[in-house]
Amino acid sequence: MNDTEIIEKAKALLGDKVLEVSNPALRRIFMKVDSKDLLKAVQVLKDDLGFAYVATISGLDGGEDFEIIYHFANAFSQLNLRTQVPKTNPHVESICAVIPGAILYERELQDMFGLVVDHIPDSRRLVLPDDWPAGNYPLRKDWKYERPPEKIPGEKS
Amino acid sequence: MKFTVPIGPQHPALKEPISLRMTLEGEVIRDADIRLGYNHRGLEKLAEEKTWLQNIYVTERICGICSHSHATCYTQGVEKLMEIEPPKRGIYLRFLVAELERVHSHLLWLGVAGHEAGFDTFFMYTWRDREVVMDILEMVSGNRVHYAINTLGGVRRDIDDLQKKKILDSLDFLRRRSEFYFKIGANEPSFVARIAGVGRLSKEDALALCAVGPTARASDISQDVRKDDPYGMYAEVPFEVATATSCDVLGRVVVRVKELMQSYNIIEFLLKNLPDGPVAVRAPRRAKPNEVVSRYEAPRGENIHYIKSNGTDKPERLKVRAPTLANYPATVVMLRNGFIADIPLIFAAIDPCICCAERAVVLVDGRSGEEKIVLMSELRKQAHERWKKAPLKKDAVWPF
Repeated sequence: MNDTEIIEKAKALLGDKVLEVSNPALRRIFMKVDSKDLLKAVQVLKDDLGFAYVATISGLDGGEDFEIIYHFANAFSQLNLRTQVPKTNPHVESICAVIPGAILYERELQDMFGLVVDHIPDSRRLVLPDDWPAGNYPLRKDWKYERPPEKIPGEKS
Repeated sequence: MKFTVPIGPQHPALKEPISLRMTLEGEVIRDADIRLGYNHRGLEKLAEEKTWLQNIYVTERICGICSHSHATCYTQGVEKLMEIEPPKRGIYLRFLVAELERVHSHLLWLGVAGHEAGFDTFFMYTWRDREVVMDILEMVSGNRVHYAINTLGGVRRDIDDLQKKKILDSLDFLRRRSEFYFKIGANEPSFVARIAGVGRLSKEDALALCAVGPTARASDISQDVRKDDPYGMYAEVPFEVATATSCDVLGRVVVRVKELMQSYNIIEFLLKNLPDGPVAVRAPRRAKPNEVVSRYEAPRGENIHYIKSNGTDKPERLKVRAPTLANYPATVVMLRNGFIADIPLIFAAIDPCICCAERAVVLVDGRSGEEKIVLMSELRKQAHERWKKAPLKKDAVWPF
């Protein structure tokens, strides 16, 4: 199954749910769907196109909204499914119901971007410490780390 | 009655900070939980503030064992963004180092596996032989750990005919040794018995939990980025994907030994067909706005980097996923219903050292919580019964 066949089959199965599709290089497919069609698209990719392996999920801060890219791969190709959610209402559906192995990447998304992954089986923090101040999401572009001023005990004030 | 035993994040036996929380019923693990983040360095944020060239050295420091993997994965992605093609000799040398790194990493892993299985001679042998590879790497790149041989547009150092001959001579020695390791299983039944049936991961689970690398291949999934999505010159190199069907630690050892053999063949092929010419081309400072997904088969499994450029000399976003993270959900499944004594084996590189098995005569029944006093002979009988039901394969043989 080559890239063109995969794109054709995905278009036939998902119809107008596919908003954009491109094939910039050999074995690299980029596809965009609406966030409400995400779970359906992942289901179709897994069941009908054999993309059962999700390599990782990348989040991107695009200013007004967040872009989320799900990187899938199988023996024939590599497919990147992207979706967008507005920053004012950053909710995205969990894909763990279809692919259980995506859990750690979804937890990482929640930590790093402050996205809310709905119906996630385990919503605890993954990489940030337990005492991390709420509302700080390091990979958002407007977040800057400020090192607290160093205090040496017994120092002359 | 269930106990939850925390191991780490700071534990004398752990080599790196990770917190494992084991829910135990007697000495059987009923559930395992992994808490990460004790070693999070904010590298993806840092990368956004460094230039394309500086980031090679940042990504190289993600890992100390497969340092070349991350740097190469990043470099080949950025080369695509910059629309430059490294010269053929540069590519051959880059992946020569990559395969040498796989050899050193697998030899290291084999030693640790032998050590955790209580076969320390194996550990000492493999680590002695690993020094041969480390010396080659030092000769080729100048460094033992962070080779720093990659640059945008090729590699930074060339090799000469004398070095080529030295590597080929060492390969003969390594090949002989690895064949010996492959045969060792047949003559050492206690080693095979210790690792067979431990840490089972069925093919279905491995697929559902997106396991990668030798872990997936030992569960009979023929998944290798070098074959599925050939990068560099892997499309021209003849090699086979090593798999095993036993889905346990034995399978993972076998896959790695077979991969060693494949790597020696690849190294020999690269050296014998090394093209002439320059090793690098000049790279521009900036990259046009674009995005790229770069994949690389590291010794531990698939590395994937997503890189987005915005027209400046710094990346807009660099997303890194190392293979170990992908294997954590599968590790929880491997640990479940295993024994405490198998934790180090399953975790291989981690030695959590729990040995608090009480040798008292007051037994607490795991399910009812009822306490009773039993005779030593009765206890022995119970232990024998339990051993019969253990998931170990007693008649396991090394697959030739």
